[in-house]
Formats: sequence, structure tokens, C-alpha cells
Amino acid sequence: MSDRIFDRETLLDLTVNVIPLGILVFFVGAYAFIGSFPDDPVIVLIQMSIIVLTGVALSVLTYFSGKAISGAENEMDDYIPAGYSEADAEVAGVPSEPESDASDGAE
Amino acid sequence: MGALLVGIGAFLARTENWRAYAPLAGDPAATGGSHEHEQGHGHKPSGIIRWLTTVDHKDIGVLYGTYGVIAFLWGGVAVLLMRLELTTPTSTLIEPSLYNALLTSHGITMLFLFGTPIIAAFANYFVPLLIGADDMAFPRINAIAFWLLPPGALLIWAGFFTIPLPVDIGPAQTSWTMYAPLSAQQPNPGVDLMMLGLHLTGVSATMGAINFIATIFTERGENVTWANLDIFSWTVLTQSGLILFSFPLLGSALIMLLLDRNFGTTFFAVEGGGPILWQHLFWFFGHPEVYILVLPMMGLVSWILPKFAGRKLFGFKFVVYSTLAIGVLSFGVWAHHMFGSGMDPRIRASFMATSLAIAIPSAVKTFNWITTLWNGRIRLTAPMLFCIGFVSNFVLGGITGVFLAAIPVNLVLHETYYVVGHFHYIVMGMIAFAGFGAIYYWFPIVTGKMYQKTLAKWHFWLSMIGVNITFFSMLLMGYLGMPRRYATYDFNPALAPLASVELLHQVTTFGAFLIGLGTLVWLWNIVQSWAEGPEITDPDPWNTKRDGLHGREFAWFEEQLAADGKLATTDGGEASDASRGSSELRSDGGEADEEQLATDGDAEEQAQPTDD
Ligand code: HEM
Ligand SMILES: [Cu+2]
Repeated sequence: MSDRIFDRETLLDLTVNVIPLGILVFFVGAYAFIGSFPDDPVIVLIQMSIIVLTGVALSVLTYFSGKAISGAENEMDDYIPAGYSEADAEVAGVPSEPESDASDGAE
Repeated sequence: MGALLVGIGAFLARTENWRAYAPLAGDPAATGGSHEHEQGHGHKPSGIIRWLTTVDHKDIGVLYGTYGVIAFLWGGVAVLLMRLELTTPTSTLIEPSLYNALLTSHGITMLFLFGTPIIAAFANYFVPLLIGADDMAFPRINAIAFWLLPPGALLIWAGFFTIPLPVDIGPAQTSWTMYAPLSAQQPNPGVDLMMLGLHLTGVSATMGAINFIATIFTERGENVTWANLDIFSWTVLTQSGLILFSFPLLGSALIMLLLDRNFGTTFFAVEGGGPILWQHLFWFFGHPEVYILVLPMMGLVSWILPKFAGRKLFGFKFVVYSTLAIGVLSFGVWAHHMFGSGMDPRIRASFMATSLAIAIPSAVKTFNWITTLWNGRIRLTAPMLFCIGFVSNFVLGGITGVFLAAIPVNLVLHETYYVVGHFHYIVMGMIAFAGFGAIYYWFPIVTGKMYQKTLAKWHFWLSMIGVNITFFSMLLMGYLGMPRRYATYDFNPALAPLASVELLHQVTTFGAFLIGLGTLVWLWNIVQSWAEGPEITDPDPWNTKRDGLHGREFAWFEEQLAADGKLATTDGGEASDASRGSSELRSDGGEADEEQLATDGDAEEQAQPTDD
């Protein structure tokens, strides 16, 4: 593993939450530059913080959950798919490999 | 009131019983350990005492489920009365005041007494099995959380019980949102009772949530890590986080409202905090609440749907991360319920932005379900039908939500039947559907029996057609400008097309009765099959082993069957049981006609995850 926090696979999984973040960023820009309402610093502060704080909270949770998940993944020798017992997985012949490889590549 | 006190007395007496029983189980609150509970489970008392004293997560799950079903039936009866009244524009069947009371009770009952508990039912029974825990982290807190619910329901419904009595207490007419100043000024003590009841259910939900968080963090079995936690447990974990941050807020707001009503405070009075404050507090709870209800149901569908598509959930991690994203974002969108309240347009615009962002993770899940179906070996069993119905209804329910989140559209459609159509596609078309699907899917585990396949399909089609007739005509009525929450609509035909509105109302009522009929079929099926259905001896009633999709809960079921000596020896040849009844009593799983739906060559291919 490289010394980066997230490997490529995980980054790919995380993009799913980058899209809503992108939408939030877009609106921050749109409201900041093409808003047609008169300036009122207090209101603008509230307006922006609703979007920005939501976005920050989303990034924080995504970061930590991504770290927890990819960390746990690296520690596992045999990957057992989510919700299945080891015996089950063996009986069913489920390959021991990370889920993301199996499912994301299924096309 | 007297009956209520007797009820409370009886409840306290029960609590005593239960305490006498508790020492059997050691002191799990202190140790949080899991070995102690095993002893407790070993000697369950029999009969009613067992159910009153149980701390076993499975029994508590069944209790929650029974409670939720009773609430669902009452909420259903209430709404059918309302729908009958609405077949004519004028007031014919019930007084408008009773209409308002039924409306309030329907909303509160369905959200707090059916929705949250039915999810707790599945979560209690199956999360410990799925994560390999012996029980919940705090079994007795689990029992307390459940036993707070019956008194909560009694209080919430109290106003109806007192109608025949010579007292001045009636059912609340505040609607489920309890907007001030109406809710602060109605003198009826039934409103106070309802709020106290709501408070109890909130405490119950919070206790349950803490328990789930502790369980999923600390009680996971070996080999269960964050990397392979199942999707249902993920959604329950996220839901518990939402409950933890939103229900205490509802509790505080309710107390402020009670103080306003009874002690002359002015939290929500115009001269004090103002009625808009209530709206902000309520919806800061209220929007997360709708996701509290829908997320675990999405988890159930993500778990069940792949079983009958013959392949794993597509993009498992996407579903996990978008669940978490919904969890966070749902705290930033609350004022989309208040666009019409006259708040500053700049702030309003922000809530539109966040609401549009939350649609993305919701849509991601939809695409994952559809992609899971793509090229799958689909078997249209009853649980699968309900899962597909769920996805289909989410398309309409979700898209109408996105429309409503656009301010200009919202200002036109707010407070019309369009909104009612939107959220009923979700609460009935998804939440109830996923619940039914999961009940069918896990029926063998919980009851050891199999339900009746034909009846289950009748149930599905009646519900699916009923939902789409009922709620699609509500969307149309919304476009015609029919406002929600009115007992009559005898308006001037020059204002709006009265004849069309009346027709649509009648269509809606018809659809609602289809749903009602389907629900009766379901109830009969469940009760009769539980009582006299064929016993299950096959640990794989859904034939999921061959696809490598045999979950931990069914592995546990297999152990149970083996321990009871009921395990069928070789393959699942249930022929012996079929002698019991007609073909109607046959099981839903793995039958010839369903097998034939699959093209055999494909089947083998799909069973193996493809590699690149
Ligand atoms: C795709 C995401 C969603 C969006 C963007 C959305 C948007 C909205 C908006 C803007 C309203 C306010 C309409 C009005 O009163 O004028 C609304 C109402 C409502 N939504 Fe959604 N919604 C979404 C998903 C959901 C889900 C998943 C649920 C339920 C689990 C839900 C339940 C409700 C309820 C109960 C109301 C009505 C509350 C009331 O006034 O009584 N929505 N929705
Ligand atoms: Cu909302």
C-alpha cells in the first residue's frame, strides 16, 4: 500500500459523495457571484453557512467512514462479503476478494 | 382518564414482574457482556409472562412488530373513514372536527407508532443475527424502550377513548405538525395528552437508537468489520445517529409547547419566540424523521432484492456512502418545508441548494438497485415483488420531492394534495412496501412456517395498483389546486374545476380501499399461515445458497433447525408438508414455475461475480 490515506479503489467509492458536495459548491458560487438580492452581511453569513456547514459535515463524515472502511479492509486477510458468515462464504464459493472489485467491475 | 390510570398502573405492575426476573441475567448494564444473557434466554418462562418479561432481542422484535401492525390497522381505519367522507364535497358522514381528529391521529400513528416501531422490529430481530452478536448491547434497556411505547400510544389516542365519557377531553386536532399558534391555543387537554404520549415514544426511540449504536460498534462478531458490515446494519446505524440528534430536539420543543399551553410561557407566541420558531424546531426534527423512516427500509431492500436477482448488490460501497451522505445532508434541508412562511429569500435559496444535493445520494441508490436487477436471474417471489414496487414507487415519490424542493414550484404546490401524494408514495409506497417484503422474506425464520404464495401475490398487486391509483390522483388534484387537510371542498366551481376534483377524490377513495383490501388479505395470510402453515425444514427456503447469497441470518436459522432436529436431510424436498393443504399452502421459494423464469445457461454465469 502506498502512504496515501486512500487507495485508488476507495477514492473511486468516495466520488459518490463528491457529487452532492459539488452541487453545494456550485450553489455557493452562484449565490456569491450572481445573487441579485441586496447585501446584508448577517443574512449572507447565515445563507452561506447553511450550505457550507452542511458540506463540511458531509466531508468530515465521508472522510472518517472512508478511513474506517478502507482500514478494516486492509487488515482483513480473507474478505467475507457483507452479511455472510465465513462458512457460508466458503460453501457458496464466494471468492475472497474485496467487494468493490467484484461488484464495481461487474460490467 | 380512569382507564388511563388503570393502564399505567398495570404497566407499572408489569415492570415489577420484569424486575423480579431480571437478576437471572446477571448485570449486563454494568458489564455490557454477552455471556450473561444466554442464561437468561435458556429458561424462558412460558405464556404471557414470557412476553412481559422478555429481554431477548428476537422476542422484543416480535413485540415491536405486533405493536406496529396494530398501529397500522388503526391508522388505516382512520384514513378510510376520512376517504369515505371525501367522496362528496360537502360534509356528510362525519363532523369536520372528527375529520381533523382522524387526520391528526392518522399522521401521528403512522409515523410514530407504526413507522419507527416496525423498523425497530426488524432491526431488533435481525441486526444481532446479521452482525453475529449474541444480543443487543443493553438487553434490558431494549425492553424498557419497547414498554414505553404502549403507554405512549394510549396517551396519543386518549382523546378518542374519552369521546363516550362525560369529560371535556377530546382527540387533538392539530395535525401531525402541531403548528403554533393553533396547537398552543386549543384548550382541549387531549392535545396535552397527545404531546406527552409523543414524548414517551421519543424517549423510547432514543433509547433504542443508543442501543443500536452501542451494539453495532461493540458487539460485532469475529470477522465482521466496517469493511463487511451488512447494508441493513449500516442503514440502522445511520438511522440511529439521526434519531440521536433529532428526537431529543422534538422532545424539547414539545416541552416548550406544553409550557406555552399550560404555564403561560411565550416560546411560540407572537410576543415571544414567534410561531415560526416552532416550525424551525419541528422541521429540524421533522425532515430527519422522514429519513429515519426510509433509510432502514432502503437497507432492507438493498439486502433482499439481490437475493432474488441472483447477484450481489451492485456497488455496495456506493450504497453505504450515500446512506451516510443522506444522514448528514438531511440535517441541512429542514426549511424546504417552510418556503411559504415568509423567511428571507436568500436563506430560502440555501435550503433549495441543500435539498437538491440530497437528491443525488437518493438517486444513486435507485441506480444501484436497477443495476443489480440488470441481467440478473429475477425470481418474482412476493418479497421481490415488494422490492421492485418499492423502487418503482421511489422514482415517483423521489422525483416529486425534487420538484417540491424548487422554490418556484413549491410556492404553487405547497399545502396542496401534491405534497400529500409525494410523501405517500414514499411512506406507503416504500416504507410499508419494504416492511411487507421483509415480513414475507423472513417469515420462515420468525415463525418457522411458510406463508401462502397466491394470497401474497394478491396482496402485492392490490397494494401496488391501489397505491398508484390513490397517490397519483392526489398528485393530479394538487395540480388542480386542491388544498390538503380539508374535511370538505364545497368551493365555488368558478375558482377551480370542482367536478374534476370531486371525481379525483372518488378515484382516490377507491384506490385507498384497494390498499385496505390488500392489507386484509395480508393479515389473513400471516395469521392463518402462522397458525397452520406448513413447517419449514429447509434452511434455504429461498434457494440463495447456489448464488452464494445465503445470509448470516439464514445460517443462524439452519443452526436452529439442526438444534431442534427439524432439518431436512438432503435437498429441500418439502413435499411431505404439502400434503397438509391445498396447493395454496405451498411455499413461495424455489418452485418449478419460478425456476423456469430463469434461463439456465445465464444462471450459472450470473452466480459468479465477474472479474476483469
Ligand atoms: C428525494 C428527496 C426528497 C426531497 C427533495 C423532498 C422534498 C420535499 C419538500 C420540498 C417537501 C415540502 C413540500 C411542501 O410542504 O410544500 C416535502 C414534504 C414531505 N416529504 Fe419529502 N422530499 C424527499 C424525500 C422524502 C422522503 C424520503 C420522505 C419520507 C420518508 C419524505 C417525506 C415527506 C413528508 C412526510 C412531507 C410532508 C410533510 C408535511 O408537510 O406534512 N420526503 N418533501
Ligand atoms: Cu423534508
